[in-house]
Amino acid sequence: MRGALSLASRLLGRRGGRLEEAPLTGRGFQAILVLALLAASLPIILSYTLLVELSFSSTLIMSPFQKTQFTLENWRLFLEGKLAPTAARIYSPAYIRSMIVNTLIVAAGVTVVVIAASAPAAYALSRLRFRFRAATLRFLILLHAFPGVALIIGVYAVYVYLYKRLFVGGLLPKEYLLLYSFAYVIVARASLEVPMSTWILKGFFDRVPWEVEWAALVDGASRLRTFWQVMLPLIKPGLAAVAIFAFMAGWEELIYVVVFLPREAPTLASFIHYQLSGGSLEASYLPVVAAAATVYLIPTILFFVFTQKLLLEAAHGGLKA
Amino acid sequence: MPGSRSWAPALFLSIMGFLVVAFYLLPLLLTVWASFTPIRDWRVESLGKSVGLDNYRRLFYLIRHDPDMGKVLETTVVFVSGTLLVNVVGGFLLAVAAFLLDERVSLGFRLLWLLPRMTPVAVFGLLWYYFFHGNGMFVHFLQALGLLEGPTWIGQDQRFLPWGAWFIIIFVNGLVGVSYGMIIFYSAFKSIPRDIYMAALVDGARLRDIILKIMVPLTRWHIIFVTVWQLLSLLTTYAHLYVLVEWRVVDKWYGMTWSLYVFETAFGSTVSDQALAAAAAVILIVVGIGLGLATLRIMGFERELKPVRGDI
Repeated sequence: MRGALSLASRLLGRRGGRLEEAPLTGRGFQAILVLALLAASLPIILSYTLLVELSFSSTLIMSPFQKTQFTLENWRLFLEGKLAPTAARIYSPAYIRSMIVNTLIVAAGVTVVVIAASAPAAYALSRLRFRFRAATLRFLILLHAFPGVALIIGVYAVYVYLYKRLFVGGLLPKEYLLLYSFAYVIVARASLEVPMSTWILKGFFDRVPWEVEWAALVDGASRLRTFWQVMLPLIKPGLAAVAIFAFMAGWEELIYVVVFLPREAPTLASFIHYQLSGGSLEASYLPVVAAAATVYLIPTILFFVFTQKLLLEAAHGGLKA
Repeated sequence: MPGSRSWAPALFLSIMGFLVVAFYLLPLLLTVWASFTPIRDWRVESLGKSVGLDNYRRLFYLIRHDPDMGKVLETTVVFVSGTLLVNVVGGFLLAVAAFLLDERVSLGFRLLWLLPRMTPVAVFGLLWYYFFHGNGMFVHFLQALGLLEGPTWIGQDQRFLPWGAWFIIIFVNGLVGVSYGMIIFYSAFKSIPRDIYMAALVDGARLRDIILKIMVPLTRWHIIFVTVWQLLSLLTTYAHLYVLVEWRVVDKWYGMTWSLYVFETAFGSTVSDQALAAAAAVILIVVGIGLGLATLRIMGFERELKPVRGDI
């Protein structure tokens, strides 16, 4: 396949002293490779296709090849809060809306907390000289690697302790309980993202030329003002990247939501979970759950379309911040 | 300006510092502490009492005598080693394929394989719930091959246990984890000067030689890094396993690894034994810290740490 001719033509692609990014292998080999990769990707492709197709399907299909009629019925039922075509209205449209809003609150909250904690910390770790700087950076990596399941027991114990002090002890009226749960789940979940986000943002601060900051400091700006007015605008791409990752982390969270939020305040994740857990699925109607899951998948898809490059570069933040 | 040095770092680090103390250090201490107390059903008052090493004794008693606990340990070993193999070898092969392909095609495949990692756990669980359903695509496929008759939950059916359940948990977590190796290896291949590949091609090297004699040796540190990091992740991951077990896609015990056991023991609907869970968690913590330190060394951490410039 790899004849002398194709090799010569590839080498001739040399321009300006740089080899052109031509594939290293011939066309025939490329075709075989694509077929092999497609075969390996088949379960992924079929599963995602089935999920979306099922949400528009009039019957319960189990594979994308099964015959079915196109319908918007599942979407209507989902938005009206009916989980089965025959079921009485178990949930109200307001309930379904609140579920989406709850998911957004957690995701947005996590984003805010992550940025607020990691941007200033990353600045200090990149630009200020202080004792334990190196130790702090090393420590952050260890924290990132720490087994979350070991932490969540302690995190929940604090949650229970504070709950007893605040609500059983009567410091706060019961109406604030939901607020407390949301605030707690947001801060607790955000904390898990903070070490890695700080590392990523530190990498961005490292790349800002020192002269820029120097100019501001010489003009008499304080550290705080330099950070806020000069440095932060310069690392906007980094902030955007970290914000997107934090948002997605909050959006997709299942465990913390199931543990900390009451069943009456579900997010899309816990809603799907409650429909299926304990094998109680046959009682609910799969295509409607598929509609919920498709709604849930929309930000992921948008994220994919708009941030391909960012994703491929930053997904391994730990190695190349 | 000289005065700024003392307060500035503390101020900038304050929010992160608070979160680290409140949500890492304090919970960590509490978890270790709880493993020496009789806490159950989240009665936090019990944290004031001590039972010495009782929880550890109970844990080791269970390991020796409880057949379900034996299943958990077996599952942990098979799951971690099996998925690790998929993630490292699979990730490497995907990266090689992506590297050899024309850029546009390659980008499409890399994104496709990243999708599982980015998909919310609940949706990803749902996909494989359908796929491995008693009447799902996988069963249809086996039926078409003549290997199976009638609807079967291969993760639950006694005839296929334990491997049916193990296959599913390795498959699902493998799909999530494999892209990590793919991305790191792919960028490592890209960073090898192209002239080296070209020289090998001109010398008539075959693809196998290029992979084994150029790509593997030149990315060996990446391979070690991915292996250790994934080992750590797989020992501690439990979200996907949790939905597979709770949704009855797989058998309860042959779908449960050590970390899911910790979670289920502390937060389960039937057991709520935080003391025992904490003891099990402490073992995980020790292993986790060891592997974390190993990762730091491999990353050549000191090289990453640039000196601070021009602090005035």
